[in-house]
Amino acid sequence: MNQAMLAELKLLEPTPVPPVDSTQRLPVGSDIYNEIVMHLYDEAELLDDLRFSEWLETLAEDLEYNVPLRHTRPSRETDKSVIRTVQHMHDDYPSMRLRLMRLTDTNSAWGEDPPSRCRRLVSNIRAYITSNSNEYRVDSYMLLTRSRFDSDAFDLIPCKRHDVLRRENGKWKLARREVILDQAVLGTPNLGIFL
Amino acid sequence: MADTLHPDKLQSDPVLRDGTHLSDLIDMDMREVKMRVLSDPDLYEIEMKKIFARCWLLVGHESEIPNKGDFIQRDMGSDSVIVAKDAKGDIHVSLNVCPHRGMRITTLESGNASSHVCIYHGWAFKPNGDFIGSPIASECMHGTMRSKEELGLRKARVAIWGGLIFATFDQDGPSFEEFMGDAKWYFDTLFDRTDSGMELLGPPQRFNIRANWKTACEQSAADGFHTLTLHRWLAEVGPYAKKPDAEGKGGDLSPEMYGCEVWTDHGHALRCIELDRKIARLTGKDPDTLTVEEKLTALPPPGITREMVPELLRRFSKEQLEIMAWRPPQVGGFFPNGLFEFIYLPQPDGTIVGAMALHVYVPKGPDKLEFTNYIFAERDTPPELKAKMLRLSIQMLGTSGLVEQDDSDTWPHQTLAAKGAVSKDITLKYQACYDNKGPENWPGPGHVGEGFTKDDTQWAWWRYYHELMTAPD
Repeated sequence: MNQAMLAELKLLEPTPVPPVDSTQRLPVGSDIYNEIVMHLYDEAELLDDLRFSEWLETLAEDLEYNVPLRHTRPSRETDKSVIRTVQHMHDDYPSMRLRLMRLTDTNSAWGEDPPSRCRRLVSNIRAYITSNSNEYRVDSYMLLTRSRFDSDAFDLIPCKRHDVLRRENGKWKLARREVILDQAVLGTPNLGIFL
Repeated sequence: MADTLHPDKLQSDPVLRDGTHLSDLIDMDMREVKMRVLSDPDLYEIEMKKIFARCWLLVGHESEIPNKGDFIQRDMGSDSVIVAKDAKGDIHVSLNVCPHRGMRITTLESGNASSHVCIYHGWAFKPNGDFIGSPIASECMHGTMRSKEELGLRKARVAIWGGLIFATFDQDGPSFEEFMGDAKWYFDTLFDRTDSGMELLGPPQRFNIRANWKTACEQSAADGFHTLTLHRWLAEVGPYAKKPDAEGKGGDLSPEMYGCEVWTDHGHALRCIELDRKIARLTGKDPDTLTVEEKLTALPPPGITREMVPELLRRFSKEQLEIMAWRPPQVGGFFPNGLFEFIYLPQPDGTIVGAMALHVYVPKGPDKLEFTNYIFAERDTPPELKAKMLRLSIQMLGTSGLVEQDDSDTWPHQTLAAKGAVSKDITLKYQACYDNKGPENWPGPGHVGEGFTKDDTQWAWWRYYHELMTAPD
């Protein structure tokens, strides 16, 4: 790939999530770790309970939020199994606000009206200190179950989330989220919900 | 096209398990289709054979396989295929099934291979599908009863157009040009606009919907009306929300419904939506006083900048340029399972940014389809604009698209309803008909209607569906 192509790729793809520094891991049960766990649990509840305006308040205004495609590639090319050019979601704060306004300020967001019944099970939370004193790199696993209408079949969306959480005036804000899905072909009819 | 069935055709009119004929379910005079057609399992089997094994189908874009040996795996109806570039640079489409014991030759979505070796017993094939040999040549695993020529992968015919790769397993059917017919003149203004051509910005989004493929595809054949209700949010908080200087009332999408609609005998459909209002807003001038060049410069097509407009002027006929500046095709379908969106999206800052996307709705059984969303730009689109188009396309269309998430929630309900003992006899109605044949000065071919959107394009889709389903084997 030549320089021009690399420069273009950089524009198409989101800003990379800062890498994990395993020497900077927060011990499970430490004060900040506990705060982070509480925030992620509360966030899951806000989304499960459709409290979208409150969730918007937990998003940083420089947010980048993306859900890459997954691609079936051979074992020796697993790095190519995450696609960040075309993705399932590629959002920032203004576009997230539009998504939320569609849900809260119109009566025609049919893809989620009536809303899905979702349960976000968050686990395997690991947190790391970053070079920014008020920002933490937080990884978590999530299993989202989604039920719509009178179907007894659940859509399952298992994923791993790479977050940057920022502590501002005693509150936690999501500054960065990348969601690594486990399906190459998603088994849910849309992502009108948030991961 | 005559509306009465030719006697020869009746003999090949599919008969379902309870003795019902397909032609009993489609009323050509009343322009109605019984719901049963939407998800009947008998019809599904026939569709795979008579439509998907016969029509030209979109399987990808050249920019996905730029190098020798590159390949992608795609679906043609219910069949998996390998789309590969050979050492000479030619593109081939072969069935992804080993002729030995039926294993998939590749299980990968993409890759690079100078030969494709089946992991089961090791039979090897060239990128063009030719059989190379089986392991341990001296023992001749493949026997001597069939020649090596007979043991290659089943090959499809291939047509490349604007870099788009189309293929068909019908060796004797119409040429790609015949199949596209009058639609090609219009599609050239979308898919073949620049010297460098289009490029895919990444692999397609893929997700499954519990709906029959036809629910998505009859809508793709240019259903304009659904925009007014299903996509009403567009005018409430979306890109078409009331602007301070807007004409008309806020929350009203109906002004966007005017223009021309074009349909062809092969079920291709195009909504050529008028740009005059947008151009008037951008220039502050009456579009009738502007030349084609001025209009194209004020509002270049998606992916095109004003600097690229001279290239359009050089490449297209006067008639095509007139359409591109006045009523360009913005959304519609290519039969049987493709949709195009080359749309102009108003931005909060008053500018307009384009999106270029193609969808393929892959049938996955009578009650399931895979939504495959390809997102494009022109190769020569400046990188900053490409990035903007990509984000907007992802935010509006496909998996999480604010527009299309409503569609993907609708089709499953139609599919379920089609199974009701009473519901299956309810008819889909296509009775909003144009009372004109388009403007007298309309410069393009095909069947044309002018004014507010109508159902003629979708009815043309069903007519061709009917024609293919009742054609002799």
